Amino acid sequence: MRNKTILFILLNLVTIVLMAQSPWEVPADRNAKLSTGAFTEQSQTAGKDLYMTNCKSCHGEPGKNNAIKLVPQPPDPSSTQMQQNSDGALHFKISEGRGPMPSFKNVLSSVDVWNVIAFLRSSNKDYKQQVAVRPTFGGEVFDKVELKLNWEAAKNAVTAQLSGTRGGIVKPMAGLEVKLFAKRYFGNLVVDKPVDTDAEGKASFTFPKNLPGDASGNVVLMAQLSNEELFGLVKTETQMSIGVPTNRPPLNEPRALWNVVQKTPIWLLITYLASVLIVWGFIVYVMLQLRAIFKMGE
Amino acid sequence: MASEVNTDFLKDKRLDRIATDILRPVGVDRNFLIWMASLTTLLLVCMYAYYIQLDKGLIVTGLRDYISWGMYISNFVFFVATSLVGMLISSALGMMGYKWVKPIGRIAEIIAVAFSAVAGLVIVSDMGRPERLPFVFLFGRIQSPILWDVTVVTTYMTLSILLYIFTMIPDMAISKGRIGHTPPWLQKTYEVLSFNFKHTPGQYKILLKAIRILLILIVPTAFAIHTVTSWLFAVTTRPGWDSTIFGPYFLTGAFVAGSAAVIILMFFVRNNYKLSRYITLEHFDKMGKLLFLVSIVYFYFNLNEYLVPAYKMKTFEARHLMELFTGEFAFMFWSVQLLGLIIPMILLLFKPMRKPVPMVLIASVVLIASWFKRLLIVVPTMASPFLPKQNVPEAWMVYHPTVIETAITVGTLTLAVMIISVLMKLFPVVPIWEIAEEENAHPDQQPVE
Repeated sequence: MRNKTILFILLNLVTIVLMAQSPWEVPADRNAKLSTGAFTEQSQTAGKDLYMTNCKSCHGEPGKNNAIKLVPQPPDPSSTQMQQNSDGALHFKISEGRGPMPSFKNVLSSVDVWNVIAFLRSSNKDYKQQVAVRPTFGGEVFDKVELKLNWEAAKNAVTAQLSGTRGGIVKPMAGLEVKLFAKRYFGNLVVDKPVDTDAEGKASFTFPKNLPGDASGNVVLMAQLSNEELFGLVKTETQMSIGVPTNRPPLNEPRALWNVVQKTPIWLLITYLASVLIVWGFIVYVMLQLRAIFKMGE
Repeated sequence: MASEVNTDFLKDKRLDRIATDILRPVGVDRNFLIWMASLTTLLLVCMYAYYIQLDKGLIVTGLRDYISWGMYISNFVFFVATSLVGMLISSALGMMGYKWVKPIGRIAEIIAVAFSAVAGLVIVSDMGRPERLPFVFLFGRIQSPILWDVTVVTTYMTLSILLYIFTMIPDMAISKGRIGHTPPWLQKTYEVLSFNFKHTPGQYKILLKAIRILLILIVPTAFAIHTVTSWLFAVTTRPGWDSTIFGPYFLTGAFVAGSAAVIILMFFVRNNYKLSRYITLEHFDKMGKLLFLVSIVYFYFNLNEYLVPAYKMKTFEARHLMELFTGEFAFMFWSVQLLGLIIPMILLLFKPMRKPVPMVLIASVVLIASWFKRLLIVVPTMASPFLPKQNVPEAWMVYHPTVIETAITVGTLTLAVMIISVLMKLFPVVPIWEIAEEENAHPDQQPVE
């Protein structure tokens, strides 16, 4: 038994070390990904703050080779090992993590990660930034990018229409990922999977038939463009009467121990009042006996 | 309590002797005035402390965000606890037919009246905005144990006062012609409080019925008052309070504190009022045994209350218990358990320890320990909340009672002592009619002084 346990631990350790030392494969599209904004002094400062809070404890301060001793060794940011990565590869590795390197995609926003990369690059004199080409409308930047939501009863689907405007001309935008949410009491519920817009700029989401709405079946839906880096935050909120009408009494409706005094539970009301009335009834009766004693003495 | 009274004792010449003995210390003398003047001075100083608290708010106390219940609430529990002894002596033992409790019944009643009356004021001392006290009644929730507590404290106080007045009516009638040595206003008071009592069989019948009703009502009310006080804590989920035996635990603890208080007053009455004929060695022996009995029951509840959670050591309970056993509160905890419970229990097993002088020493230590015991119930739990203490000044994390807070607490104790002093000095402290009736019925039994 004990030998098996030791073997199990050893195997796991070997696996971790091997995994960590195997080349870190970055998907081609992510590897080629570029920041849409140029790295400025401002983004480097913001990145430095983030680096000091989130990265320094393991990777140390850039150029000082004071990273924590771990296996595998976290590289110093100014090292070749770090700097030979493309911007996209760094973005991928910081976001996803592997083994002892944690994933930061839930801690830092995509823009935050670019700022950290801006800081990492600031110590590299040979580095020349390539900025991503922004999607354009016939070679021009969009005036406005818009999402609109429609209900298609026949298909039981919510359709998001993505369109861009330039000089008064509206054009559908294809191939961009859209997410749909339904607003709930505590946060947003993801509806269906993220869908890419088709040639007409449409993304169609299958809407569940059993999603509770308010008393009239109203649900607030929210669609959002997944990639915030291209056009900033593009989102829309629409109320639609497509949920199941739900008329639950509010939590403060029934009589309960935690409710206001007007909504005392009946059993408690009776017990309390009866006890008080009985005891105080006797007290009043006893007090009246004082009078009886007094009168009898006259 | 007998269902009827044989009024032969009124013609018995022994009545004169008994009444003279018991009424001799009654009245306003120099020592009493000096005593009351000192207490009044102390009270005024303490009231000045309360004035500061009214003016500046509870910030002048050591109470902060984490420990918001400190000395005041502990003091409240102590007052309620001590007052319960009225029920134990007069109702429970009296109705069971134990005749030896008759001479000390009124002492227990005086303690009940004084401590339950001041208990309400102690709660007000914990309020930052006491002028909002009526809101408790206007906007109180029947669902809240706080409202139940207000209800039962008021009821118990009323019952105790009524029982005190009713059992004194025949004494007032007997005494009113015999207190020529006292100020006229006191004689007038006796006249009023005798309610035209002429010792007629009809009056006795009504009187005994009323007393019987009061004695019966006091039992459930006394249980309610301290059980509800324990529920103020036990209905929460906090470590140290989240307990199903808190009701009986508090109740038995109350009897320990109350019995100790009765013993102290018994000693005072016996020695200073020269009433050793009525409060005899046998009374001390019996009270010693009673204190042992309630202590061992309380010890049993303590064992349950600490040993069972300590065996399990659930995360949050463990932190709380370790603070008590070996941590910040260890010295107080073990002192209270040893000096206030275990050592007195062992000592009381020996007959020489149940003599007046050793008994009053034991009782004093027990009473002081029972005050600190309440502090140990309230404060350590507040000091170990579920969420970590953070982002507050260092001083907020620990509880240091301030001088003002202590003075206000001393003030409430002073007030209780003042009420006790007045009742003990201006009215017969031993029931004359009950003793006279008893001696008339059993003339051959002579007390061992």
